[in-house]
Amino acid sequence: MLMFLTPILALFFQEATGGRLSAMTEGAKHPDLSKFLVVGALLFIIGVAGVLTRRNIIVIFMSIELILNAANLNFIAFSRYLQDTGNVNAVAGQVFSVFVIVVAAAEAAIGLGIVIALYRNKETIWIDEIDILKW
Amino acid sequence: MYRYIWLVPLLPLAGAAINGLFGRKFRFSEKLIGGVAVGSVALSFLISLAAVYSYGFGGHAIWPSPYITTQGSFTWIPGGAVNITQGSAERSAMAALQESDKRLAEMAPEERDKLKTILSTGTDVPRSSVLNVEWSYQLDPLSSIFMLVVTGVGLCIFVFATGYMHGETGYYRFFAYMGMFMFSMLVLVMGSNFLMMFVGWEGVGLCSYLLIGYYFSRQEAADASRKAFITNRIGDFGFALAIFGVIATFGTAQYTDVFAQAKDYPVEGLWHWGVLSWIALGLFVGACGKSAQLPLHVWLPDAMAGPTPVSALIHAATMVTAGLYMVTRTNVIFQHSKTMMTIVALVGAATALFAATIGITQNDIKKVLAYSTVSQLGFMFMACGVGAFAIGIFHVMTHAFFKALMFLGAGSVIHGMHHEQDMRRMGGLKKYMPYTYMTFLAGWLAICGIIPFSGFWSKDEILWKAASTTEVPVGWIVWLVGTIAATCTAFYMTRLVAMTFWGKEKFRDTHVHTPGHEAHSDHETPGHHAHVPHESPRSMVAPLVVLAVLATIGGFVGVGPAFKFITGSDHPGGRLNIVTFLDPLIWNSQTGEFNQPHSLATVGHEGQTVPATTADTHAPVEAHTGEAAAATTHAAEGFNLAHAAEKALGSHTAAEWLFIVISLVVAAIGIGLGFLFYVWRPNLPEIWAARLKPLYVASYNKYWVDEFYGWAITRRVMDAARAVYTFDAKAIDGLVNGSAWLTRLSSRITGLVDQYFVDGLVNAIAAFIIRLMSPLLRAAQTGFTSNYALVMVLGLVAAVALFFTGDILNFFKAIFAFGL
Amino acid sequence: MILSGWEAVFFWVFSIAAIFAGLLTVMARNAVHSALFLISSLMSVAALFILMGAEFIAGVQILVYVGGVMVLFLFVIMLVNVGAEEMGRAEIHNKPRQVGASLFFCLMLVIGLLFAISSGYQGLQKRDEAKLAGVAGQRARQEDSLKSGATGTSRITNETERVGNSLYRYASLPFEIASVLLLVAIIGSVMLARTLKQEAAADDVPPEALREEGMPDPSLAEIPPAA
Repeated sequence: MLMFLTPILALFFQEATGGRLSAMTEGAKHPDLSKFLVVGALLFIIGVAGVLTRRNIIVIFMSIELILNAANLNFIAFSRYLQDTGNVNAVAGQVFSVFVIVVAAAEAAIGLGIVIALYRNKETIWIDEIDILKW
Repeated sequence: MYRYIWLVPLLPLAGAAINGLFGRKFRFSEKLIGGVAVGSVALSFLISLAAVYSYGFGGHAIWPSPYITTQGSFTWIPGGAVNITQGSAERSAMAALQESDKRLAEMAPEERDKLKTILSTGTDVPRSSVLNVEWSYQLDPLSSIFMLVVTGVGLCIFVFATGYMHGETGYYRFFAYMGMFMFSMLVLVMGSNFLMMFVGWEGVGLCSYLLIGYYFSRQEAADASRKAFITNRIGDFGFALAIFGVIATFGTAQYTDVFAQAKDYPVEGLWHWGVLSWIALGLFVGACGKSAQLPLHVWLPDAMAGPTPVSALIHAATMVTAGLYMVTRTNVIFQHSKTMMTIVALVGAATALFAATIGITQNDIKKVLAYSTVSQLGFMFMACGVGAFAIGIFHVMTHAFFKALMFLGAGSVIHGMHHEQDMRRMGGLKKYMPYTYMTFLAGWLAICGIIPFSGFWSKDEILWKAASTTEVPVGWIVWLVGTIAATCTAFYMTRLVAMTFWGKEKFRDTHVHTPGHEAHSDHETPGHHAHVPHESPRSMVAPLVVLAVLATIGGFVGVGPAFKFITGSDHPGGRLNIVTFLDPLIWNSQTGEFNQPHSLATVGHEGQTVPATTADTHAPVEAHTGEAAAATTHAAEGFNLAHAAEKALGSHTAAEWLFIVISLVVAAIGIGLGFLFYVWRPNLPEIWAARLKPLYVASYNKYWVDEFYGWAITRRVMDAARAVYTFDAKAIDGLVNGSAWLTRLSSRITGLVDQYFVDGLVNAIAAFIIRLMSPLLRAAQTGFTSNYALVMVLGLVAAVALFFTGDILNFFKAIFAFGL
Repeated sequence: MILSGWEAVFFWVFSIAAIFAGLLTVMARNAVHSALFLISSLMSVAALFILMGAEFIAGVQILVYVGGVMVLFLFVIMLVNVGAEEMGRAEIHNKPRQVGASLFFCLMLVIGLLFAISSGYQGLQKRDEAKLAGVAGQRARQEDSLKSGATGTSRITNETERVGNSLYRYASLPFEIASVLLLVAIIGSVMLARTLKQEAAADDVPPEALREEGMPDPSLAEIPPAA
């Protein structure tokens, strides 16, 4: 798995810069907003894959945290970009990411509480064994 | 002082309120209740006395102008609340009228006098299209007389009642109702507009109902009170219509404004009927109801079921005179309608004779007095009908004195006889009740019309005016009927006195409860057979004495022109003479204006100068010259008795004295016959009753008027009610029930349709669809959370793809291009 | 904002670390390993935050996210810990069909996102050409104008002050709402995670449910048993 994905990622990295090698190295020497967004996007995809693929509930939750983290990264990147371009509302991005962290924390607390209650009743943490809502 | 007249109605009301609201709750003693009631009326009387004195006789007297209070009054119906214009035609007419009024105001006085348009209103009468009614009191000659009579005689009766009603359980209630009555009556006579008079009118009707039905546990008292109220109400209907007519015609209800406008209307001659005749008709219907004239007289004799002070106050002295007050107040309107004057005179005469003949045969002492009251009221209406309004009011006053006296005397007799009312069981009471006897004598002589008692002056003047009137052509009929009624009056009053006070003592016979037996609470005394009558206590005798004095000397305020050779003037006493005092209120058909006061030689109304006249302007001027009809605009048609007498005797004074002598002679005849039948030959009544059996039976049964009304009206109304009820129960209820049956039927049908047809359809279609779709949809519910997350991601991918549809298409195109 | 020099190096280091750690999070067999990898990913991201000049957020991330949320995760992992042998044999991925479909759609998503980023960034660059021109020098000037720290090697920025300003003035209502949200979360999680015994002790269970579980009615506790 590991070996499989890394070259693919590298390929896409190259794609993001428009596919010119010189530009790529230049871009690499001076990373700007787009690189950050790519990092964020990749983290997001990894998180989504984790949610859809894993059986362990806790790991699914952790993948959700990854997703939220990626979104946070996006916000902060844009906040910095807007600061540089002189927008007065630039700091809104950071303010928003505070709220995202708050919501993530609250959601984690509740979710894990549900997990515990579910574990007490069903004695399992494998998600495919919890199908009470099945027809 | 006359500024305080607004207190006069308020004080009895306050007394009534205190007695009524707190009398029972706080268990007032009889002394306290009586004290509050008598005190309030006494205070009222003193204030009215002072007010009338300062109005008419004091240093700053403003007689004859009316005084309308500003203190203690308020706007009752503000202008704009009632809009009486009806349409554009009236509005434009009103505008034209206002225009002409404006031009009238701008003219010089001389020019204005030359104009005599019918609808001119002068400059000081507002002609508005909205009705503005104030609650304010008016003090003028008429209302001042009534104020004094009502509060003065009322005071005597209140004092009497404190003694008479002693021991009754509803003592506080009695005096509360009496106080309310005083308030209503004072509002009636003191009001400054028709609506206040109507309020007072209804109020006295209500209090009469409450007081007649004072012993409400007795069937006959309850029936009598209802009868009184309903009969009154019939009269009130006419009165109300008349008030509507007044407001519609004149635009205002205030007396001063209405009469100032009315006097300029044309006089409607005999058999010509116009708007003023309609109004007068409505007013007279009201007066018939209230003052018990034919055919609405039936309630007064039955009203004797109430306590005697009530009979004295309400049904002798005050309430029944309200009709007279109203007719005199609106004498302008009446005098404009010759037809109505004739009707008033004839009805009055008929009533006088009718009631007098019934009174001859009655055995209950109060019933005799009741019929006597009806008869005397007829006399008063006779006076008003022939145009002698001031004399009518004079008779009201003297009648109040002697009739109240006699009712209270009868009350004293009843009290002394332990509530025995049948005269056949009385007799020889003069030994046991001397004060009552002597005061009663004064009343008897007064009512018979013996000089110099008060009744003589007024009654004789009425008959003279009837004989000599030029207003209506029926004067001689009225005089004749009045004279016969006077004879009957003298006869039955002598009969009453003889049966009650003279002759054999019959009360020692077995005490039987007759139907006329008045209810009383203390009837459980053992061994009450053969009561020995006793004189009444001081509280009951003192008012008798006061009223006896008034009955004796009260007539001197109205000495007529016949006695000019003694007194030196036509109406001696200046303003104290009642005719002089009331004169400015009476409209004169000759001059078309209200009479000018005799003692004033200055500017009268409307800026016209009138020289002082010493002759009384309401006597026909041509009587002195012997001419007929030429100088007057309203010639008397028909036969004028006084003229005939004058022609025969040659002198006016001699003609007057002829009539005086005739009335004294008939009074003496009546008294003589009474003596004959009841003192010298007591067996005569039965003999004559047998000889004139049909007449006797008719008179004894009151001419079967009540029975006739019962058959013609009451029973017919009940039949109609029963028919309507049957129709409602069978037809209308049947309809309703039928519709209910129909509804149930249709609902059953609908239910069946719904059950079989609609439900079947729903079941078929719904079940089919569900059977079809449910396995498919069920498959999506795996219960597997990751599946659900996958679907979410699918949605996300779709959303992103949607953003870039264009680019995706380009990409595929590029690939194709590349591939190709 | 264009990083250069050492900042660029650090950017690459930390971004690669974050992605790598994230990948390992979703691929680790042991849940605890997953948690630890996630922690390292979060820390890398915090470093990226600092690179972008958002020091406050970085601090919040480490304190709250790592120090609070991940510790909570570890607690819960311990609570629901499955035995190591069992763990060893268990299948950690879903059924192949699910996994296949997921990876396919994730691939689609990746392509879409990267394409979107590139085209979007080009458009953004075109729009803000003028502004970006003087960025680098401006930034240096700004940094020179700031006060320097105690050691003299770094500057004290006012970023935190700016965030605080905004948070407490313009975003004060969302702030308060967020605190209410946290309160609700606290109460909710306490309520959700109660055992039946705890709920019965607090009298929150209807008697029928108690009887089902075979537990005695706590309101009857006062009545002494028949002896």
